[in-house]
Amino acid sequence: MRSSLLWRSSVRYLFTHPLLTGLSILGVALGVAVVVGIDLANVSSERAFRLSSSLVTGTATHQIVGAGNELDDTLYAELRVEYGFRKAAPVVEGYASYGGESEGTLQVLGVDLLAESSFRSFIGGAQSSLDLGQFMGPSSVGLLSEETALSLGIELGDTLKINISGIPHEVVLLDFVRGLSDLDKQAMSNLLVVDIGTAQRLFSGAGKLSRIDLIISPEEIDQGRLSSLENWLPSNVRLQKASSRGNALDQMTKAFTLNLQALSLLALVVGMFLIYNIMTFSVVQRAPTIGRFRALGVTQKEIYGTIISESLIIGVSGTVLGLLGGVMLGNGLVNLVSQTINDLYFVLEVRELTLAPFTLLKGAILGVGMTLVASLLPAREATTAATTTVLRRSSDETRMAAALPRLIWTSLGAAVVALLLLVVPGKSLILSYLALLLVLLSFALMTPPAVTLCTRWIRPVLGKMGGVVGKMAARGVETSLSRTGVAIAALMIAISSTIGVGVMVESFRGTVDQWLSYTLSADVYISPPSPVFRRNDATIIQDVERDIRALDGISGAYAVRTAQVQMNDFQNDLIIVDPRPGPTESYRFKEGDIASISERFASDNVVKISEPFSYRHDIHAGDTLQINTDNGRIPFEVAAVYFDYASDVGAVMISRNVYNRHFDDPFVSGIALVASPGTDIDNLIERVQQVVGGRQEVFIRSNRSLRQASLDVFDRTFTITQVLRLLAVLIAFVGVLSALMALQLERGKELAIMRANGLTPRQVWLYVTTQTGLMGLLAGLFAVPLGLILAYVLVFVINKRSFGWTLQMDYSPDVLLQAVVLAIIAALLAGIYPAMKMASANPVSALRED
Amino acid sequence: MSSSNSILNVSGLSKSFVEGTQERVVLDNLSLTLREGELVVLLGRSGSGKSTLLNLISGLDVPSAGTVQYGDTSLSTLKEEDRTLFRRKQIGFIFQSFNLIPTLTVLENVLLPIELSGTVSKAEESKAKHILDTVGLGDRMNSFPDVLSGGEQQRVAIARAIAHDPVLILADEPTGNLDFETAQTVLELLQHLIHDVNRTMLIATHDREIIELADRVFTLQRGVLKELDAENEALK
Repeated sequence: MRSSLLWRSSVRYLFTHPLLTGLSILGVALGVAVVVGIDLANVSSERAFRLSSSLVTGTATHQIVGAGNELDDTLYAELRVEYGFRKAAPVVEGYASYGGESEGTLQVLGVDLLAESSFRSFIGGAQSSLDLGQFMGPSSVGLLSEETALSLGIELGDTLKINISGIPHEVVLLDFVRGLSDLDKQAMSNLLVVDIGTAQRLFSGAGKLSRIDLIISPEEIDQGRLSSLENWLPSNVRLQKASSRGNALDQMTKAFTLNLQALSLLALVVGMFLIYNIMTFSVVQRAPTIGRFRALGVTQKEIYGTIISESLIIGVSGTVLGLLGGVMLGNGLVNLVSQTINDLYFVLEVRELTLAPFTLLKGAILGVGMTLVASLLPAREATTAATTTVLRRSSDETRMAAALPRLIWTSLGAAVVALLLLVVPGKSLILSYLALLLVLLSFALMTPPAVTLCTRWIRPVLGKMGGVVGKMAARGVETSLSRTGVAIAALMIAISSTIGVGVMVESFRGTVDQWLSYTLSADVYISPPSPVFRRNDATIIQDVERDIRALDGISGAYAVRTAQVQMNDFQNDLIIVDPRPGPTESYRFKEGDIASISERFASDNVVKISEPFSYRHDIHAGDTLQINTDNGRIPFEVAAVYFDYASDVGAVMISRNVYNRHFDDPFVSGIALVASPGTDIDNLIERVQQVVGGRQEVFIRSNRSLRQASLDVFDRTFTITQVLRLLAVLIAFVGVLSALMALQLERGKELAIMRANGLTPRQVWLYVTTQTGLMGLLAGLFAVPLGLILAYVLVFVINKRSFGWTLQMDYSPDVLLQAVVLAIIAALLAGIYPAMKMASANPVSALRED
Repeated sequence: MSSSNSILNVSGLSKSFVEGTQERVVLDNLSLTLREGELVVLLGRSGSGKSTLLNLISGLDVPSAGTVQYGDTSLSTLKEEDRTLFRRKQIGFIFQSFNLIPTLTVLENVLLPIELSGTVSKAEESKAKHILDTVGLGDRMNSFPDVLSGGEQQRVAIARAIAHDPVLILADEPTGNLDFETAQTVLELLQHLIHDVNRTMLIATHDREIIELADRVFTLQRGVLKELDAENEALK
């Protein structure tokens, strides 16, 4: 800054307009807070997962895993004794829920302490003071970190009551895992370590292991140890890198987190409009001052530098506040993010927010950068206008009017590019969101011409309703187009994003509801509680299953089982179902023919795959899927692709008969009962409850209540989306408030002249509120088509590219009407303060020249 | 008081504006020379092009044709940035509507042209204060313009116009917004500047009192500049 007086004048301007300066800082702060909050929540979830994953994996480099969920522990003995591989440790792991003071899920890790020393240092540390005899004895004892025990409200020697697959268990806290680093403490926050024998008892898997961890050095790999081991292993097990499981889980949530980030950026885009608006106003309002500076010899560069410096002050202040707000918001959002991950993907416990420096830096760069970008145009406007015209207020509007044809053409250009990006085949989400941004830009550019057109139509109507004041209000919107246009565009974008996201969620919900109506064709559903709602992989006790099947009053009992199985080069859910008699199908097919599939599905090596699975792996009906079974790797023909909305990861469905041929796994995860004609459903549910008794805690739900429970989870997983939607509206509200305030304050003199000529304070009030209401109405009306386009892109392009789902676009006119009303209310609310200020202003002071 | 040294030579100056499809000629091939220390008054009806001529002479605007020459410097050939830097150092402006910077105090407004050209020395600050004392505003140095009366604001504008010792002071209706009494005070000030401090000044005005102080008087009619002699009716 060449002149400190120029700088002083600039700072004083900001301080003499505290409300506007404050609102623009708030706009940046909210935008940054949303982006940083979402990012911190994502990063914290990812970090919690990574920490816990790396703690549990320890120094293992490879793992031996079974074809299904488990493998025989005889393999471990053979590996050490016959093959002579010593750096191996058996592991049994699973999840247990706990109640008491706080509810949650614990990860249970069963280990053989004698084999552990090289693997998990935290267990090695515990060994020194531990009573090994007791730990490895027949009673169920376990280890927790001191912090976890404290949070669970238990002490050494206390009994921890847990529940696994609906069966209650008790584990005595034998000792604490001591000497943990801070990172390990975080990772240990939901880990219960038990002896491998205890874990086998808890998870009903005598003689079964989840995996065998191995340490194979790079030198050993070079010496061919890895390939030799692979050759030695039986065909029904697989050797994989220890990191591959974590990466697979990471991939699951990739689209989910990317979509959240994109939605959070939308909030920042709305914030950017706000900054643009405020900076434009600050330039316009100071046009005479800038003209004076220029007349006195201040160069264009110096003016430019001053405006940019001001925006820097706003950007930096807003960003600092936004970072603080982001941390607070992140604390709230991390629970929503981890809840959604728990509902949809895998068990995750996030105890604390990770203040990732990169996220904070990214937020800072985005906040300051976007503020600067938003200020470039106003700064340029301020400097490039000829000094003599800067001294005249009307010049800005003259330029705006002249720019209308250019705006229309640029808008159409942006729309064409957006369309091209949307029709380009591929899975790129970045391109999809870029197209979405261009659609927003196209509508924003089209706003000033559309406002001009609409106000001309509306003016006679308002004239009839409100006389000359009404007419003036409409004309005022048009004559201050450079300011009103931006304010209307900002509100339109925010409202359209609520329409877009709202219609997308409504369409999704409608599709899922419809899907549930034909998928859930049985009358009563029985399943044990599962750690992840959408992955029904807990098992029913076999005696319980047998007794349920033997109940009177049912015409059919169809079991389902979910198992994690290795197929092709990835691991995926395999859904095992009892085939139904006849060619009836509760699923609808996207590819394949019902009539020809039914019989072969019940007996041959054929599978059906879900639509997201087909999309993710580009596998279609007629292709072959290699599945690792207990009999080795078997090729399965993909007979059909079915519509499914239970999981965005996708699933492969196999008939129980075929599964039994290839896997040694007689367990079921759930049973669906079809009542015989005349059977009372409530009575059947009661009888199921009696049969199960206290042997196992299970959910027994009617068709209707399961459907409701599914929709409740659906709604819960979209809570974070709704929160983001509300935040975008909040930012838009701040934007509209500042824009309207700026506009009305700028008109102080015009209104003072009208007051001097006899306009009453009540008429001033009417004038301002009519004008702001009109702006809200226009923003709401423009937001409807834009919102529907956004919804279309979200439903048919972004959802498809993210998850592969085919959704039906479904919305009620209420959503659109609500959006228009919301826009008008937001605008009217934002107009209250300026209206009050203008109505009570003394016209004498406003009429003074300076 | 006049001197034979010319500081400004305007030659063949024309300016036209395009309004819709029509071109409106505001200044047509006019020439003017200003000599050091003289006061030249420019008369003309509203809309005759007086302000346009001042804008061209100050480099705020560029002519359609002709040159504006200060010594060896031809303003017409300079780029926008250089014209601004020239104006900053060599020209002082007094506007009808004062045009003070509302966010700077009285003293800061006066110091602004000096600070724009570099840092303000103690001597320059003392000089600015002295000028403010001279114009009778020594006790209002830390006030902001919006609390001053019209006459006070114009006196600040005059102080600002002379504080950096410009080659030429341009004034556009300096008393146009002032009442009779205030206008008299401003006139006395201008008189002092011209006769005691030896400034060169070009004033566009209707004020007869200013005309009486003028060394030369020009009229601008239909874009044409014409010098009036002492016997002219307009000066009586």
